[in-house]
Amino acid sequence: MQDFIDLLNKVTPDLLRGTVVTLQIATISLVLGMIVGLPVGIGRVYGPVWLQRVLGAYVTLFQGTPLLIQLFMVYYGLPDIGITLGRLQAAFLTLGLNSAAYQAEYLRSALQAVSEGQMTAARAIGMSKWQAIQSVILPQAVRLALPAWSNEAVAMLKYTSVVFLIAVPDLMGQAKILASRYFAPIQIYLIVAVFYIALVGVAYLILTLIERRARIPGLTGDTT
Amino acid sequence: MTSPILRIEDVHKSYGSLHVLKGVSLTVQPREVVVLVGPSGSGKSTLLRCINLLNPPTKGRIWLEDQEITAPGVNQDRVRQRIGMVFQEFNLFTHLTALGNVMIGLIKVRKMRKNEARDLAMFELERVGLADRAHYYPAQLSGGQKQRVAIARALGMDPHVMLFDEPTSALDPELTGEVLAVMQKLAGEGMTMIVVSHEMGFARQVANRVVFMEGGVVVEEGTPQHMFEQPTHERTRAFLRNIMQ
Ligand SMILES: Nc1ncnc2c1ncn2[C@@H]1O[C@H](COP(=O)(O)OP(=O)(O)O)[C@@H](O)[C@H]1O
Ligand SMILES: [Mg+2]
Repeated sequence: MQDFIDLLNKVTPDLLRGTVVTLQIATISLVLGMIVGLPVGIGRVYGPVWLQRVLGAYVTLFQGTPLLIQLFMVYYGLPDIGITLGRLQAAFLTLGLNSAAYQAEYLRSALQAVSEGQMTAARAIGMSKWQAIQSVILPQAVRLALPAWSNEAVAMLKYTSVVFLIAVPDLMGQAKILASRYFAPIQIYLIVAVFYIALVGVAYLILTLIERRARIPGLTGDTT
Repeated sequence: MTSPILRIEDVHKSYGSLHVLKGVSLTVQPREVVVLVGPSGSGKSTLLRCINLLNPPTKGRIWLEDQEITAPGVNQDRVRQRIGMVFQEFNLFTHLTALGNVMIGLIKVRKMRKNEARDLAMFELERVGLADRAHYYPAQLSGGQKQRVAIARALGMDPHVMLFDEPTSALDPELTGEVLAVMQKLAGEGMTMIVVSHEMGFARQVANRVVFMEGGVVVEEGTPQHMFEQPTHERTRAFLRNIMQ
């Protein structure tokens, strides 16, 4: 037992440093995913047919291939066409574009779940199509998509762990280094699992608060 | 004789190979209340959606006041702003309160400041007797209240003509009265209205004219008295007898 506490004391600072990196990657990727995913989702529903096709191909590409391959393509593949990214940049870009594909899909099904009558009523009072999307359809769709989006945010915390394979010192990356340094893989991965659970728990808490604040009677994602 | 507020001339509408409106002509005078009746599928909703250009006609012309709104290059959003529409299913914006539903068009379309918009929206809610429900969401309102908010939302845009598409058909019978009362009040204030409705009591009391449509054409039109008591066409007689059970 004393051994375990000693080990815990020794590895905690490095794991905390890794946690910061993990949180950084998750946050930036989610934000990038939102910035890209929002227009992709809207374009998938309201864009011209050619655009819907192109965006559909993008989504299929990122949903249909393993995340790890995407990461390797970005980190090892892009330099072949003259784009060289740092490890962290590659992590942000890959996870961000991957998350964008998923976020776009959640938004797409939420947009489609908003009844047609909402658009009709908005146009009937003289709104343009874009005004209607912006001030009537989107505010509803975002709320409908919130539960799925929360799951995406939580999943992202765990997906980030692939980046240790391009030697990013995230929580998982630190775990790997520490496991071989102290010859105690089981104990260390157990400790790291607890770290992940704590992160996920805190994320759930925050997201539940957000969902509660955004709730409007008659408009929830759980019911449709 | 004043000039008509709305003139519909030989309007056709097809969806693909389905020819729904087959040459409808109708002229509406200012302050007139026209009740449009006809069997389901006869094209009543389609006609209303042609008039406010939600689904522009495939052929024919429509004038609103002195503007031909079917002319190429017309700003259709502007036209819709001047033609209020009330739907069978209310279509209130789910994410906004009653007040928000009325305000949003004032802010986004009429470009009013928030304070100004709030005052006018409250005034419109008072007009339909719902000032005390201003902060309720649609899900917290009864069907009749929802429809009255929808009327207030349309009125906020200061429409020159109001279209009602079966405004009471989705309501429980005990809730239709409050909506019809608001519509009757509007008619009394001089609002020009085209109302698709099978509320014959309303038609008798409020309409200046009843128009009977079937199969995408106007079969017969006339005063309520003429239409209910001595219609010229056998089909008008049969239809009206049927809905008055
Ligand atoms: N958007 C549409 N696409 C295809 N067909 C339609 C559309 N809207 C209405 N129709 C068809 O047009 C006909 C008339 O419909 P509608 O105008 O709703 O009749 P009413 O309101 O008199 O019941 C129906 O056969 C209906 O199926
Ligand atoms: Mg109809």
